[in-house]
Amino acid sequence: MMKAGSKNAALNVALVALMVAVIEVCKFAMIGLPNISLTAFWLVLFSKHFGSKVYYVVPVFTLLEGIVFGFNLWWISYLYAWPLLVLITRAFRKNDSALIWAVISGIFGLCFGGLCAIPYIFTAADLKSGLTYAVGWWISGIPWDITHCVGNFALMMLLYKPLGKVMQNLQKQIKS
Amino acid sequence: MKGKKIAGLIVLVVLIAAMAVTFIAFREKPVEGEKSITIEVIAEDKTSTVYEVDTDAEYLLGAMEDAEGLTFEGEEGPYGFTVNTVNGVTADLNSGKAYWGFFVGGEYCNYGVSQQPVEDGDSFQIVYTPAQ
Repeated sequence: MMKAGSKNAALNVALVALMVAVIEVCKFAMIGLPNISLTAFWLVLFSKHFGSKVYYVVPVFTLLEGIVFGFNLWWISYLYAWPLLVLITRAFRKNDSALIWAVISGIFGLCFGGLCAIPYIFTAADLKSGLTYAVGWWISGIPWDITHCVGNFALMMLLYKPLGKVMQNLQKQIKS
Repeated sequence: MKGKKIAGLIVLVVLIAAMAVTFIAFREKPVEGEKSITIEVIAEDKTSTVYEVDTDAEYLLGAMEDAEGLTFEGEEGPYGFTVNTVNGVTADLNSGKAYWGFFVGGEYCNYGVSQQPVEDGDSFQIVYTPAQ
């Protein structure tokens, strides 16, 4: 017979693993679409419905991304970009408007290239060259940031309500 | 609440417009006319082959097509043309553990080969790069 504490811990581990798996499967399923993914959408939804458990999802997801795609410069930006989204989501967690979440995830998509450009500042011999290179890199990626923004906005508008209901049902089942 | 939604939408639209204007104003623009450039291929065993190219191409892909003796293959994808084979050697991240890295003036190219502008005097490098 499993003790209640152990059962809860096992449930939490399973839940975190499931959340990471959902994000990764969706990411691979949509890999052919340019800069359109459900990662931000799922992190928002998981943060909202499963609270602090998502704090474990982000490091596991980030580590898995490094293992799958290599621990390159872009990976460093994952160490702060996704936690930033989770913190923003936690700050707005009482909001239940799909439009407001779509705006938040759209702005996040728009800023993603800028966030990813930060490590490039430190790749050059001096700070000025690094800044010039990072800004150039960011500007060259703006069309992809706009695509990311539009994708995040549209996916949130389409899926927030229906999948939000699924999450609520799941929460009830877990609690019961 | 309705006011917040409208304000949020306005902020998003203004940010998108600002980013689009920034891109149009500050992106690297292609240069018309003849250019003399070099394209250096550094193979897996670090051997180097340099191609001196006179080209009217505005983007690197066109300049590579003008480089006599340089052969390459790739495919059109959502991010433009992706080169996965250079001089008969394939380095494809999807099937192997390496890729062809593109540099201009010693820095990583900011664009894919079909969008990377070419300027007179540019020196490009195509480097066989093992994935880390």
